[in-house]
Amino acid sequence: MPPAAEPARSRGQASIELLAAVPALFLAAAIAVQLLLVGYSLSIADGAAEAGAVASAAGRSAGGAAREALPEWARGRSRISAEGGRVRVEVRPPAPFAALSEALTVSSEAWSRPPRGSG
Amino acid sequence: MTATLIASGTDRRSSLGMAAAVAVEGARLTGAETLVIELGEGAQRRGPTLLAAAGARRVEEALRADDLRASARGHVCHLALADPGEGLDALGPAIDRAEPELVVIHLPSSLWVPTLESGLRVDGGVLLVSLPAERSLAALAVGEMKGRGLPVRISSRPPGPLAARRALAGVPPGGAASDLARSIARRLLDLGWPGGPGSSREGGRQGQALPALLGAGLILILAALALTAIGGAATGRGRVQRAADLAALSAVRSMRDDVPRLLAPASLPSGAPNPQRLSRGEYLERARLAAIDAARRNRVDPSRLRVAFPDSSANPPLRARATVVGEVDPGRLPGGRRLANRAPIRVVARAVAEASAPVSSWTGMPAMAEGGGYSGPLVYRDGEGMRPDVAAAFDRMSASARRAGLDLVVVSGFRSDAEQAQLFARHPDPRWVAPPGHSLHRCATELDLGPSSAYGWLASNAHRFAFVQRYSWEAWHYGFAGGPAPCSSAGNALGPDGQGAGAPSSTALPGFVPGPYRASILRSASRWNVSPGLLAAQLMAESGFNPRAVSPAGALGIAQFMPATARSYGLRDPFDPIASIDAQAHLMADLLRRFHSVPLALAAYNAGSGAVAACGCIPYAETRAYVARILALANGAGVLLSPPLEVRLVK
Repeated sequence: MPPAAEPARSRGQASIELLAAVPALFLAAAIAVQLLLVGYSLSIADGAAEAGAVASAAGRSAGGAAREALPEWARGRSRISAEGGRVRVEVRPPAPFAALSEALTVSSEAWSRPPRGSG
Repeated sequence: MTATLIASGTDRRSSLGMAAAVAVEGARLTGAETLVIELGEGAQRRGPTLLAAAGARRVEEALRADDLRASARGHVCHLALADPGEGLDALGPAIDRAEPELVVIHLPSSLWVPTLESGLRVDGGVLLVSLPAERSLAALAVGEMKGRGLPVRISSRPPGPLAARRALAGVPPGGAASDLARSIARRLLDLGWPGGPGSSREGGRQGQALPALLGAGLILILAALALTAIGGAATGRGRVQRAADLAALSAVRSMRDDVPRLLAPASLPSGAPNPQRLSRGEYLERARLAAIDAARRNRVDPSRLRVAFPDSSANPPLRARATVVGEVDPGRLPGGRRLANRAPIRVVARAVAEASAPVSSWTGMPAMAEGGGYSGPLVYRDGEGMRPDVAAAFDRMSASARRAGLDLVVVSGFRSDAEQAQLFARHPDPRWVAPPGHSLHRCATELDLGPSSAYGWLASNAHRFAFVQRYSWEAWHYGFAGGPAPCSSAGNALGPDGQGAGAPSSTALPGFVPGPYRASILRSASRWNVSPGLLAAQLMAESGFNPRAVSPAGALGIAQFMPATARSYGLRDPFDPIASIDAQAHLMADLLRRFHSVPLALAAYNAGSGAVAACGCIPYAETRAYVARILALANGAGVLLSPPLEVRLVK
């Protein structure tokens, strides 16, 4: 018969296993959050590209409208190009490393007919 | 593996019943084979009995083999010890040989410590005492057990006689006795029996902790993927809607750009066909192609696009509806590979766009002043008109004042003679208000400035920007001395940019205005302070300058007056073009004053001021087309700084 202290040792072992699994859990949570951030960035890039294209058709500044349509945090993380009715918005989603953020960059393009004479 | 519990109490019968109850409930909890052994002091020797359970019998035989006085009765094996502690050494091996899974040894309280010290493996103990009288005994038992790291339970609730008898017979005692015994057994076995269910649960936890956490992580990732897939589907749906929106907008953009060509005369003055002119069919086809182009460039198969023109009968049509029937393939969406149904989702997106006059964005103030003291383009600051070079100087002065913490406001600028007459009528004191025809405000070079806190700054700084204070008693009135003299022909010759000579205002009328009407349009425009270009475009749209025109609705003459409206404006003969133009300018001046918007004033001229005032908008598609046509004519002719038609999504 094992000594009475055995259960306590087992409990300790369980705690250590738990401790080992916590980083894995954090990693899973981080991956989940990163996925959501990428999806959200794509959705705001879409919205901004459309806003730019709508402004272009109305004869207003496409780049300015696209920038206006982005939330504050995304303006510094985006590249907007507008030429001849085509508006392209790239958004780098927030990520722990700059390289990862760059690799996960999402983009959206929209086109509308620009006013005649503006190309 | 056998688990061994010891039980004792000062009242033998009760504590034996409790020990048996713990054994029975322990067996029920664990499913183990159990045995109760009672240790008794003294030399009492009992013979074997046939009425014993198999487990009790096996222990009896094992003990008897060691020459111990054991006798099994029912579910209990009694062991009589000759002296305290004698034979305890043999008890352990005998129990091992009988191989029960759970043994509850009931012993007199005097044997509690000797049993613990005998080397017998004990996994826990339970003591039935009467509290608080036997607190010291309970404390001793607890101290002995805890000192060995063993769990112990103290109870002061003895089972009743009936419950005790049931337990001794190997059946659950029932009621509160069962609950108590089960609770004791659970506590003791959970902590003190490595082979028991408690420790097996512990082992289970060891094995489950990791998978549970990994499962939680997996669920997190799957949930994120599901959300991404949902978001992706929404994005796909959104992109189809976007393609419809942009197709409709592109069609309307094309229409808005083509309106002047649709309204252009069919033939040139030379009689040759006008190459710029578009037929209605060509106009609509160009819009349709623009929508298709937009769909293609937004990655939508043009075969999925339908374009319609809801107001195709209006002149000009300015609405387009785009319908895109799209399919979203969930498998191609991010995160959708595993989670979403692979069948494509059919999405129908519709969008309607139109080109319309911006009702609220333009005050409709005349862009040109005619006659009076100044004839030329007007530029507005704070809603007040002024000569372009005055506005440029004011802008520089205003910027300088802003740096000094002052926000200059133009309280009054250009006043036509008619406006000055109204002002003088209200304040007929020539010291404060000049009579009509004498105020410098009619020259568009004079500004009344505010606020009063800026007077000091103006007095010291205005001269730097060529503004001079005209009258010492009017701290607010500054005139511009940096350009052509007020009310001079040089001032009238300034272009809209305030630089150099512009075209004389009398030639600012569009080329389509027939010669006989040019003078009367300019005269009436000046009299009623309405843009001549606007009046000309309106006459073109109303009747094409045909003084004999009669509409199916009964509108008469060059300005298409209804008889009742003509009467209310003192127009006796709507077919008299000169009188009609003057009444038209008068009516437009009234409507502009009422609605503060050229598009709304035009709409009220066409549809009646009641309908326009009711909605604050341009009612009816026909009226929208009418307003758009006039603005396009005026804008295309370059005589009116009219607002461009806005291209916007309607729904």
